[in-house]
Amino acid sequence: MESVLSVLYQFGTNAAFLLLSAIGLIVILGMMNIINLAHGELMMIGAYVASFLYHSGVPFAACVVASFLALALAGVVLERLLIRRFYGRELQALVVTWGVSLILAQGMLLLFGPFLASIPIPFGSGAVGAFSFSWYWIALIAISLLLVAGLWFLYYRTAFGLRARATMQEREMARALGVRTGRVYMLTFALGSGLAGLAGALMAPTTTIAPYMGQQYVAPAFITVVTGGSANVIAGALGSTGFLSLAETPFTIWFGTFIGIVAMLLASLVLIRLLPKGLSEWIQRRWLS
Amino acid sequence: MSEESNDENKIEKITNEVDSNVDRESGEIPELGLSRRDFLKGASGVVAGSMIGGGMLIKGAPAIAAPESKTVDIGFIEDLSGNLAIYGLQKYHAAQLAVAEINQGLTLAGGPVGVGGFASMGQQAKKPPLVKLNPGSGEIETVDDGGDATESGILYGEADDILIDSGEKGLLGKEVNLMAPDGQSNNRLWQQLSRKLIQQDKVDVLVAGFTSAEREAIRPIVDRSKQLYFYTNQYEGGVADEFTFCTGAVCEQQVIPVVQYMVENYGPRGFTIAADYNFGQLTAAWVRAYTPLVGGEIVGEEFVPLSVSQFSQVISKVQSAKPDWVMTLLVGQNQSNYYPQAAAAGLKFPMASTINMAQGYEHLRFNTPSLARMHNAVNYMAEIPTARNKAFVKRFFKMFPKDPYLGQMAQNTYFSIHLYAKAVRLAGTTDQETVRKVLESGWVVEAPEGAVFLEPGTHHASHYIRMAKADEDHNISFVRDWPTIEAWWLQRLGVNLVRHPEHKQYTPQEDQFFPMLQKMASK
Amino acid sequence: MDTAPLAELAQPIPKAQGFFMFKRLKVEDYLVATLWIAVAVYGSVISDYSASTAAFYILNVPMALGLAMLWGIAGVLSFGQVAFFGLAGYTYGIIAGNIVSNLALASVAGVVGGLAAALVLALVFGYFLFYGRVEAWIVPIVTLVMTLILATFMGQTAGYEWKVGQVLLGGYNGMTNIPPMHVWGVDLFGRPLFYYVLAVVVVAWLLTVVCLRSSFGDVLVALREDSLRTELFGHDVRLMQLLCFSVAAILAGVSGVLYVQWGNYITPDSMGLLQATLPVVWVAVGGRTSLLGVVISTLALNVLSFQLSSSGNQYAFVILGALLVVAMVVPTFGWSQRVAAVFGRRG
Repeated sequence: MESVLSVLYQFGTNAAFLLLSAIGLIVILGMMNIINLAHGELMMIGAYVASFLYHSGVPFAACVVASFLALALAGVVLERLLIRRFYGRELQALVVTWGVSLILAQGMLLLFGPFLASIPIPFGSGAVGAFSFSWYWIALIAISLLLVAGLWFLYYRTAFGLRARATMQEREMARALGVRTGRVYMLTFALGSGLAGLAGALMAPTTTIAPYMGQQYVAPAFITVVTGGSANVIAGALGSTGFLSLAETPFTIWFGTFIGIVAMLLASLVLIRLLPKGLSEWIQRRWLS
Repeated sequence: MSEESNDENKIEKITNEVDSNVDRESGEIPELGLSRRDFLKGASGVVAGSMIGGGMLIKGAPAIAAPESKTVDIGFIEDLSGNLAIYGLQKYHAAQLAVAEINQGLTLAGGPVGVGGFASMGQQAKKPPLVKLNPGSGEIETVDDGGDATESGILYGEADDILIDSGEKGLLGKEVNLMAPDGQSNNRLWQQLSRKLIQQDKVDVLVAGFTSAEREAIRPIVDRSKQLYFYTNQYEGGVADEFTFCTGAVCEQQVIPVVQYMVENYGPRGFTIAADYNFGQLTAAWVRAYTPLVGGEIVGEEFVPLSVSQFSQVISKVQSAKPDWVMTLLVGQNQSNYYPQAAAAGLKFPMASTINMAQGYEHLRFNTPSLARMHNAVNYMAEIPTARNKAFVKRFFKMFPKDPYLGQMAQNTYFSIHLYAKAVRLAGTTDQETVRKVLESGWVVEAPEGAVFLEPGTHHASHYIRMAKADEDHNISFVRDWPTIEAWWLQRLGVNLVRHPEHKQYTPQEDQFFPMLQKMASK
Repeated sequence: MDTAPLAELAQPIPKAQGFFMFKRLKVEDYLVATLWIAVAVYGSVISDYSASTAAFYILNVPMALGLAMLWGIAGVLSFGQVAFFGLAGYTYGIIAGNIVSNLALASVAGVVGGLAAALVLALVFGYFLFYGRVEAWIVPIVTLVMTLILATFMGQTAGYEWKVGQVLLGGYNGMTNIPPMHVWGVDLFGRPLFYYVLAVVVVAWLLTVVCLRSSFGDVLVALREDSLRTELFGHDVRLMQLLCFSVAAILAGVSGVLYVQWGNYITPDSMGLLQATLPVVWVAVGGRTSLLGVVISTLALNVLSFQLSSSGNQYAFVILGALLVVAMVVPTFGWSQRVAAVFGRRG
């Protein structure tokens, strides 16, 4: 019984890690096709904001919300100044965001030094027999599912979501139908950026808060988004994190962390080869239409 | 430098000539139709360029000697930015402290000719016991027990003045100059920077390297240029290189004491979590080989790539293995996240390491009780309560009040630079081959950790090893010490760089005793 | 949008014209040739150390040219150039390190082996990639994944058991003591090495020019502009992409082999995340389609990067990042494209 719970817990934490790493990027890359190489740095700044506020006495939950808002605002600024010059030119957006990421990471190092005071992991530990676990990770699993549900609600049940999906599908047509596409892009980028900051703040207790901490999330985020594909962002997010974690978890248990990572990477490559439009397109075709 | 001033004189001369030709009003030189500024720019450029080019051509020619440098140049490469900056900055500051002290006319006590040689200090007995032998009964009778035997946990008081007058400001009448570019945690840049320091700046000694990868990136250049090189970091051991002196601690000095302590105090079953690269794998091999010899066994090993920062699965594995203690050989910022995550998951196993706390000051960075019950056999931690160390720590933080910690590698850097200065003073020259030979005379230097002996044949240092232990509040106590542990492994391999110069790094597989130990242990 | 190549393709190509015509060389090609001559002259007056350093800057050019061809001309962005760079370097190290009896043979065999390894990986991976018809934006990420797998794998090959013949792979510490280029009884270091590197790079550049100023180059441009239309004209788009990918890989391999011959050392880090983005940056700043721009930007950015770092300047990365942003935001396609356009409309 304990080992079953342990395996489920490991699966869940891997999937939650992938989902939180990717959630900001899902919106920006998945929906807007902007290859945002500054994604890791957005998460890093979210963690920084959370650390500053937490050590000024703000309760952790409020810090997380504040990170979301701060990064959403930053996203608006970034989009207006830089990103909107590159719609349709994703590859140039890539280089610009890389430049931004260099400035942000090194800038934080110069301003605040090699690392910030860390945030203790909330909630402590629980145990079932000999298997003990961290309640915080259980919370993160739940929160990541809630975030996906929230995104689904936003994009499939609200007017904004309808307009956003229309814009992503066929911009000129949406414009002709009266959608203010410029506004949609700005808000979408802000949402993606805010979610990245939120994820960064949520992950902050589990990691050292340092200028280059964003690097650890970049590759998992991109792999998750690419495996998911852009057809249906929600299905893609759930499908790909589930699939990748399903590949990674058992291999890590049997062979160690390195083999687990390789298994996940290879699984993603194989899936892209078989389903070039990503998992979400397949899910959409098979089950949702 | 004399050549540059020659350039300036030449440019001045031409400028004066041009001045006389220039039309005073329009500023133009009629014949050329150029404005004066353009002409000067162009002319000075051409002149300077050819001067510098010519100068460099001359410099490049081996037959003509370069003018004698006015300073003693120490080339120093560490990572001052990037992932490894939290370690690199400490070492850089320690180097700056050492250089400042040398320039002020101070040096550390110590001398050549081994432990007990010139100016090496031993330990002063403040109130030793007074004893008498009764030959008849074979007893040694205590006449007077001398006094409280537990003064700061040390029986004999230590003389605290390790920093003494050197007799001159600077080194051989010249100022010591620290040239310290930033390696940026980038191996390619390390190669370029070491070439620049060695071949262009012609430093008198190179002190550089945190990871073994960085050291191995520059060792080929060091060997080809016959550059005197100090590697002051703890590492997996095995470097046998005639130009390299390794003053950091190696596996035999740290692994065996800590493993022995854990088995004696907590039980025989150990579990290793190690960084999945050379240092982690080789140190784990040492742990695996020597634990059975002290009566323990390693019940599981997990190797984690350097980029990984989430340890849920590793934690689950540790739990299911149910060890008595956990050996953590984790390197870098990402991997140090294991400690808070394990604490949050409720892991309470005693931990052992040869790396953490003393280098990355995890006990100060992470909230309690993440590092509770952590043991480390260190050659240095800032918390060592001896008089000489307290004075050293005070000096350091007076110069760098904003620094968060003073770690093992920083202290190694500090005494290594002082040791180099002493060798140069004795040699009477900065000529690298001579200084190398002098360094092979068996030096002892009184470092903040204790007396350190630089062994001639292996170019490695003995260390004063202390077992550091962190409690629930992350306070440190030193529960056991070994005043001298030599780096004996290379000796066992037969390395003697004085007799047989080499340029390689040995691995445990080349040691015939490792498989033999495995066989003995499995019986 | 440049429609000239498509217009040319629409007409049947007379047989007499052939694959490559000298008159199709552009002004910028002559400029680059002049640049190489200037560099050669420069190499004769500087010190040995400076020549060695200059060799390091120059050897990165083939990799950048390969990416310019792949990305700028054919429109396929790949982060995998450093994977081929690293693979070629390691292969050279393995082969040259094992042939101890004949040093000249060792280095030549190493060069051939290194380039062959890069080619094989490109063919295998490229087949997988292009014949699977993945969407364009997926290619950069998949190539990045490939590079990371390779880097992570090499990083853990630390033990004694990880060796090929008598050469240890070295894991994260890297492969050390890689033999230098051995020609006519001499190991190449310093100035001779500089001229050797320059010669190889010029040959690589010529190869790129031949590829691009030919009908193959035209197809690549057409592919970038509209791949569906190009396919409808009868060209096998997947094969063209695969060929281009392979040529770029060989060029990256050239850089990799030159690197290990220069530094005698290679680590898995050279295939890491940071290194993988550098060629993309060089090509982007140089104006993707202009070979002159790419050559100049590769040299300039490498020099700038090193000068900033070695002078202890903490703002190195910030400056580099700002430079990138500016280079992209300034609405031209890189400054040198403007310069080339000034010289004639054949751009």
